[in-house]
Amino acid sequence: MELTKNITLGVYLPGKSFIHRLDPRTKILAAGLLIALLLFTRSYEAYSLFTLFTAAIIVSAGIPLGYAARGLRPMLPVLVLMWIFQLFLYSTPDADIIFSWWIFTATDAGLHMGNLITLRVLFLFMVTTILTLTTSIVSLTDGLESLLSPLRRIGLPAQELVMTMVIALRFVLILAEELDKIVKAQMARGVAFDRGNFIQKTKKIFPVFLPLFINAFKRAEELITAMEARSYSGGKGRTKMKTLHMGRVDLTAGGIIIVYAALTVYIIMSVAPRI
Amino acid sequence: MQIEVTGLSHSYKKDTPFEKKVLHNLSLCINEGEFVGLIGPTQSGKTTLAQHFNALFIPQEGSVIVNGRDTADRKADLIKLRYEVGYVFQNSDYQLFAPTVGEDIAFGPNNQNLPVAVVEDRVRQAMSQVGLDFDSIYRRDIFALSGGQKRRVAIAGVLACKPKILILDDVTAGLDPRGREEILGVIRKLHAEEKITIIFISNSMDEIAELAERIIVVDRGKIAFDGQTRTVFEQADRLCAIGLELPEIMTITNHLRKCGYHLPETVLNMEEALQAIASSLQDGQVND
Repeated sequence: MELTKNITLGVYLPGKSFIHRLDPRTKILAAGLLIALLLFTRSYEAYSLFTLFTAAIIVSAGIPLGYAARGLRPMLPVLVLMWIFQLFLYSTPDADIIFSWWIFTATDAGLHMGNLITLRVLFLFMVTTILTLTTSIVSLTDGLESLLSPLRRIGLPAQELVMTMVIALRFVLILAEELDKIVKAQMARGVAFDRGNFIQKTKKIFPVFLPLFINAFKRAEELITAMEARSYSGGKGRTKMKTLHMGRVDLTAGGIIIVYAALTVYIIMSVAPRI
Repeated sequence: MQIEVTGLSHSYKKDTPFEKKVLHNLSLCINEGEFVGLIGPTQSGKTTLAQHFNALFIPQEGSVIVNGRDTADRKADLIKLRYEVGYVFQNSDYQLFAPTVGEDIAFGPNNQNLPVAVVEDRVRQAMSQVGLDFDSIYRRDIFALSGGQKRRVAIAGVLACKPKILILDDVTAGLDPRGREEILGVIRKLHAEEKITIIFISNSMDEIAELAERIIVVDRGKIAFDGQTRTVFEQADRLCAIGLELPEIMTITNHLRKCGYHLPETVLNMEEALQAIASSLQDGQVND
């Protein structure tokens, strides 16, 4: 039994590809742009283009496609549930009914809404996963910090904010590893997580989540001590071991992403939205 | 034969770019009533191997048969198997969750849906087995206990399931000397009095030399040695070659031997060492 196997968010997959070599700022901005485009994408045509583009990025980054998709596995129940909700709950006055039973009515508007919303969440997840898979946690921090630093003038604690975010990302995997051990420790005492009715199953959460939370707080406290022991006092006066440089690769990547964005905008403008 | 492992292989994070083979075509048998020390350098795969014994891992290749049940068999009752093979984890914080000591120990038997009276009886018995006083500790807050006490509560929680085999995964790590001695005393007693098969995973060669009757050494996912404790420690050079240390007492006697004392090559505990040194002094066989 291994829970961490299916977690790809927050994992860094070292490599030497074109994508890996990009300046973290380029990657963060590109990811931001892609996410922004996603929010305006409302047609299957635009999503097809998006699929091709993300697949191309995944392949050129040397990430095995199966591994990239594996991260979606734990999300699958949520995605399916979301799709069902949209299908039965969303409708427009002029929509055609495609299926009706008892109090459940599905319309074509609901179907499109379900499909497109699910795709949107799926791609939001994909874009962030690709970013973390190809960017080490250190460069991610440096990149974000550098991007947010102009906001320091209006009193935004950029360094602290980024540090908090990165620690949170790091903890995803740490907590998953701990969860793995706790689940095992309780299984060893005869907990059958897949047996029993709803109430019985819900009760089985306590032996897992209580130790998990207690350990998470303990870990957080230890982390604070460890940081303070090394004189961490926020962003003021901190210097970097690696300075960031934008190079020719970043220019190329920027060009590609702008061409892609223009294409998407063209599709968004010319194809009638389905929702 | 209580545990029979044949051709077991296991990869960590299989089918991902991080895949790493941790067990290579490994076979072994463990008999009823044995006290087996499972040792190996860190990352050697000893914990992964041990977690196959109570079906926390299902074999990817090869087979594991415990008490006559194949753990890979979909029809096998793995829950029942896990009651028969108790597993105590190194960090008791992963296991303890209930507000009081008594409730936590009762967790295992409660999962078995036993009547309340039986559960209480089991809790009492388990607590006395690990040397915790029922009346004074039963209602205590778990998180107010000392490290050694927590570890004992964790062991009691597993013992309350009445295992026939007990796997102890580095249960003395991080304890103060007194807590360590207490735990070791508990383990010794369990083996001697209850005849429970014990699989003792540890990084401390002193503990292994003192307690185990048989030693299995795992190195890089393969069995490097398997034999009586004395036989294994006789091959001191080869043990050191794979990155393991000798028991402290053996280091001392080896040094004394170099200084001219006539001592046996393998000494497993303090008592043996004292006797050997005493007789060596009596015979006056000290070459300068």
